Amino acid sequence: MSSRQQTVKRFSKWVIIAHWTNALAFFALYITALPLYTDFFSWMYPIFGGPENLRLLHRIFAVIFVLPPLVMLIVDPKSLFHWLKQTLTWRKEDIQFFVKFPKEFFGGHVKDMPKQDFFNAGEKLNSLLTITCAILLIGSGIVMWMPELFPLALIQWAYPLHNIAFGLSVAVVVGHIYLSLGHPGSKASMQGMTKGDVPVKYAKEHHGKWYDELVAKGEIKEEKPVKKGKGA
Amino acid sequence: MTTKYSKLVDVTRCDGCRACMVMCKNWNDLPVEPEEFKGSYQSHDKCGANTWNVLTFTEHETENGGFEWLFRHSACMHCTDAACVKVCPEDAMHYTEFGTVNTNYDKCVGCGYCVQNCPFGIVQLTTLVDEKGKEYEQAQKCTMCVDRLQEGMKPACVEVCHMDALVYGDKADMVALAEERLAKVKDRYPNANIYNPIGVDGTQTFYLLADKPSVYGLPENPKVPTSATVWKDYAQPLGKAMLGVTTMAVIGGFISNKLFNKQGEEGGNHDE
Repeated sequence: MSSRQQTVKRFSKWVIIAHWTNALAFFALYITALPLYTDFFSWMYPIFGGPENLRLLHRIFAVIFVLPPLVMLIVDPKSLFHWLKQTLTWRKEDIQFFVKFPKEFFGGHVKDMPKQDFFNAGEKLNSLLTITCAILLIGSGIVMWMPELFPLALIQWAYPLHNIAFGLSVAVVVGHIYLSLGHPGSKASMQGMTKGDVPVKYAKEHHGKWYDELVAKGEIKEEKPVKKGKGA
Repeated sequence: MTTKYSKLVDVTRCDGCRACMVMCKNWNDLPVEPEEFKGSYQSHDKCGANTWNVLTFTEHETENGGFEWLFRHSACMHCTDAACVKVCPEDAMHYTEFGTVNTNYDKCVGCGYCVQNCPFGIVQLTTLVDEKGKEYEQAQKCTMCVDRLQEGMKPACVEVCHMDALVYGDKADMVALAEERLAKVKDRYPNANIYNPIGVDGTQTFYLLADKPSVYGLPENPKVPTSATVWKDYAQPLGKAMLGVTTMAVIGGFISNKLFNKQGEEGGNHDE
């Protein structure tokens, strides 16, 4: 990899803060949930000072988990709504993405991937599942936290829903982390979520439509075809 | 567990003396909980955290316009398939060697899942204070006097019942006795029935009722709530499996990338 690459801004400071706060809270919730989920993890109780303390911690992290979208609404609504709009917009290219994606996932190289948005179809699916799980988890969590405010049937259903959303969200997160850390070609996306910018080459390969827009706006110079030399 | 022990409540013998309530309070050191007079002979609305046993007085109009009192000793049913045991995340609710359901107070954290799922609305939380003055909650209900059972004695309420409306023994014997009694009272109470609901695989406190269960304020077909079954029998095991499937997919992806993708586009995978 050459040391000097043309980069382009991808995420605002607030998006990065919100993402990592959410991630941190999610893991804290995940860990404090394990002993509540299965006896296999009961050995964790003493570490957290008993079941009561663990439950208290779970609720504290729950509040932190709920905060990022609310804070984003105030400090950076533009990024928040851009993300939501993209997540909810599905086109033909997004569906085609999933036909080609398995090959890419298991190490192949897909050359004719249809041009993707600022968020590619995989990221859109990840966002959609994350939002669904978060709504289910937060909604059922509130019912479980304050059962006296809700009818009995709702309270009884809150538990299985919390469970289902938990299982689904962990599955989503495992995939999300793998694709950002474990999969080759992930460094650039990680840079996007840590420093806020990504190499133009990465933008071109993974977010073709967004790249075209940037070029059209004159924000970046068009990347030369990579074929000429090896060290892109 | 080979033998189940049960308490048969033969309401057709009960005369409403309430000795069982008093004896229960005495033996279990339960504090007095006065309630306002609500125009009925019944002293308490229902069982609570400090009142494990309530004698209900139902004012019932018979089919020919007559009036009768229906008395019923009400307490924890000790279900064979108990919702409280199913949902308890700390294994505090458990089955005893007598086939009854008990609370392990050392494990109970007062989460209240049992309260929300008991199909009979029996379990309740009580607020206690520990030695440091800190308040905490705990699930409370009839224990079938397990401390007495372990000494070979009968539950306190059974011991004191002067009408033999409460009988305790092997479940098989109690079922036989209930059937014998049912045959005897059928003339007097045509609606009489044995209430040992199958929705919870039968209960260790079961009844010979003089009328339909609903007349006594009992659910006709109690069962473990569907939500509890979905939660504990499907969602939770499936969640664990899904965790496994995604983990396997990721490990598979990692290995196949290592094996087949030798170009190494961006260098190492883990140096991030």
